[in-house]
Amino acid sequence: MTTINIAQPLDTAARPDNYITHTRGFMSWAFTLDHKRIGVMYLVSVLVSFFVGGVFALLVRTELLTPGQTIPGVTADVYNHFFTLHGAIMVFLVIIPSIPAALGNFIMPIMLGAKDVAFPRLNLFSYYLWIFGALFTVSSLLLGGFDTGWTFYTPYSTTTPAGGVIPALTGVFILGFSSIFTGLNFIVTVHKLRPPGMTWFRMPLFLWAIYATAIIQVLATPVLGITLLLLMVERAFNIGIFDPSMGGDPVLYQHFFWFYSHPAVYIMILPAMGIISELISVHAHRHIFGYKFIALSSIAIAIFSFLVWGHHMFISGQSPLLNTLFSLISFSVAIPSAVKVFNWMSTLYKGNIVLNTPMLYALAFLVLFTIGGLTGIHLATLNTDVHLHDTYFVVAHFHYVMMGSALIGMIGGLHHWWPKITGRMYNENLGRIGCIIVFIGFNVTFFTQFFLGSQGMPRRYYDYQPEYQIYHVISTIGSYIMASGFLLTAYYLLASLFGGRLAPANPWGGRSLEWQCASPPPFDNFATQPRVGDCYDFSAIRWDEKEQGYVVDRALDSTLNPNLAAKNSH
Amino acid sequence: MNIPSTIFSNLLAGDPREGRTLWLPPPDSNLAASSDQMFWWINVICYFFFIGIVIALVILVVKYRMKKDRPFRTDGPLHHLPLEMTWALVPLFIVIFIFYFGFRDYLNFMTPPKNSYEIAVTAQKWGWLFKYPNGATSDDLYVPTGRPVKLSMRSSDVLHCCYIPDFRVKKDLVPGRYSYLWFQTDDVTPAGWGHNLFCAEYCGTGHSNMNRKVYALSQPDFDAWLVAQSQWLDKIPEEELYFRAGPKLYARCQQCHSLDGTKGIGPSWKGLWARVSGGEGGDGKFVDGTGYQSQIGAGKQYQTPEDYIRASILNPGEHVVAGYANAMPSFKGQLNDKGIDAVIGFMKHMDEFDTKGKYLKEIPATPKVSMK
Repeated sequence: MTTINIAQPLDTAARPDNYITHTRGFMSWAFTLDHKRIGVMYLVSVLVSFFVGGVFALLVRTELLTPGQTIPGVTADVYNHFFTLHGAIMVFLVIIPSIPAALGNFIMPIMLGAKDVAFPRLNLFSYYLWIFGALFTVSSLLLGGFDTGWTFYTPYSTTTPAGGVIPALTGVFILGFSSIFTGLNFIVTVHKLRPPGMTWFRMPLFLWAIYATAIIQVLATPVLGITLLLLMVERAFNIGIFDPSMGGDPVLYQHFFWFYSHPAVYIMILPAMGIISELISVHAHRHIFGYKFIALSSIAIAIFSFLVWGHHMFISGQSPLLNTLFSLISFSVAIPSAVKVFNWMSTLYKGNIVLNTPMLYALAFLVLFTIGGLTGIHLATLNTDVHLHDTYFVVAHFHYVMMGSALIGMIGGLHHWWPKITGRMYNENLGRIGCIIVFIGFNVTFFTQFFLGSQGMPRRYYDYQPEYQIYHVISTIGSYIMASGFLLTAYYLLASLFGGRLAPANPWGGRSLEWQCASPPPFDNFATQPRVGDCYDFSAIRWDEKEQGYVVDRALDSTLNPNLAAKNSH
Repeated sequence: MNIPSTIFSNLLAGDPREGRTLWLPPPDSNLAASSDQMFWWINVICYFFFIGIVIALVILVVKYRMKKDRPFRTDGPLHHLPLEMTWALVPLFIVIFIFYFGFRDYLNFMTPPKNSYEIAVTAQKWGWLFKYPNGATSDDLYVPTGRPVKLSMRSSDVLHCCYIPDFRVKKDLVPGRYSYLWFQTDDVTPAGWGHNLFCAEYCGTGHSNMNRKVYALSQPDFDAWLVAQSQWLDKIPEEELYFRAGPKLYARCQQCHSLDGTKGIGPSWKGLWARVSGGEGGDGKFVDGTGYQSQIGAGKQYQTPEDYIRASILNPGEHVVAGYANAMPSFKGQLNDKGIDAVIGFMKHMDEFDTKGKYLKEIPATPKVSMK
């Protein structure tokens, strides 16, 4: 092992050669095996999908401004295609791959001090599977679209005349494989590529979250594949599996579907929780509070996620005994979630909080996740769910969790690692303003929908009773506010690529390994195998005027300076 | 919690009842009271935790903001087992309590009393049919007050879901199975108004219009209504059927069949009679490519146009008109011969109705029939 010069920071000097400039040309990206480039390609693809899904969301909200038709030409059928595409794109193309495949791909190997993921070729393959899956899903539009909702409930999905159902199912089937391969790759990477000194309980919490996510991806996604295959067989060859007119059982489909799709909810939220652990700790410059409880609660959530799918089916005709068990187990998810929230808050205690954009997103996450989590109680409780099931209350609840938490966490992470990924700093003030606009717009849009739902408005309605209109108008205005916040965000992020200040290696004062290589990272991440200490120990971090960033004062760091190790009481 | 209710009850105009709150419509069934109570308790818990968390966050962020001239403080605790166990276990106990009460009342919801008044419900894209023990049928749901009512429900095509927000009840209708829903309401529905009944499980094009009204009548009123409802068609003389019963029966068809020539889920009824009887308007075609006139006429599958219409109502999938999907459910058992006569008469006299199905001439005063 190479000796480390204690006086010199490791690999922090910006080198002229980085992963972006290392090789040039289209082919060097298209066939790259570099996890960073694959991560960036995922990121761009996911953000483009987010834009498309967002356009459909705005179309849905605009159509709902008035009962009946609002936008000329948007009939009930067109509206049904809109909300289906919005849901399918946001779930399968945006939220599921956004954190693990895009940010995880880029950051995870660097956090491990590794040069790449365990299987770089598999990584590229899974990206292309994603592209093919996305193309299939979107191509369904040309073949008549699909109007089944993202849930593809039978027997509607096997009998609807819309011609795009099969290509859409094929697309989602392929996307599932992409997700499985990514998960597999990450599990092996975490197991095999951790650097010396990084025990399981020294891993950054983001890695714990990615690891827990990967386990769910590998175990749950095959069930989705099987289900969609059965659905295709039924639709194409009239073999009765789910359709009662051919001897099948539609409720069986719901069991299969939610056996994947409930764990999928945690595929979305767990990595965001991992990001929040990093964001809060780094931007409060404070050791994470209760590391083990946070890490183990990720695993607990991953395990519980497989045992609660039936809570989507309380009124489907499922037996009361099953409903009772699923209700009880669903409540257990409250415990690891509460542990995480309270531990994050305790991390702020006696911290050194800097309210920059990533921290604002982390705080927004805490507030929105609290609302999303607490309203889950209404829905897990059997008798109140009877009233609230399939109303806008559910729509509001899952948007608080899926968008307000998972996506806001992702965007917070994007801001956190933006200087690392692009090597540029964005405009901090615009970042804060953007975050606040999104936060306000989000709450105006979705908090209103809680009232809408508890007052009885069912979801997936094109036309509605006129008395609900006022809520719809407020909600739609909120969606426009939110959209303007996202447009501002897109603007300053893109602008930073061209005119942004060059990013230092460590702009925030982070302690994990990705902040110890240059921004953007060199092609091989680290010239030497880095030594790992406590990645939440900020005592050795100092601001450096010359760098215009933070540096690790190696003389003060116990893992690098053996003389201090004895004094370290933690 | 009732302060904002005045604002919101105004927003929800047209509802003559008292008691709407910010969160919930007035509770109008025996199950609503316990469901609402649960909802309020959960809300109180949510307010408590949410406000507590937000206040704590604000205090923490304000108090521990980094000061420029200070090196990082590192005196914060790294973990605290008793504290962490507390916030793992306290929520656990709270949710177990909530679970228990929700479970108890859910069992009540799942168990219809033995003496319930049973109404058969059939849902199909995109309408409801309610059938009462004496054979009467209706498109809107009429229930007696003061006794438990059990809906025995089935779907003839895809999943639907019967949802009555004011009663806080909801249940899926699964094709191939029966499902039950029960409630008891003690309040007579105010005149000129009805409770909403929604389809809450997505079922395609007409999903959002698959809603009807629920009227709760006192037992004597309900009995009277029931008798009138079971006989209304029988009391109409044959020659008046088409304008007395036709428009009312058409209400069940209007989701898919327009009267003004607009192409809906099914063909418009404008000019329909001319098409099928071979008059002006040309010869229509079926999906198999054959023309109407090759199927309709003496010696062919349908002896008369009337036979064809009747067959299309009872067995709609047999000959689907070109350009349309096989989307129509069968009305077998829902329309008797007299009802079918009324619909056929309505089609024959289309020029006497406006595009909404309103009869343009004056309806004769006799006979007295109780309108739906």
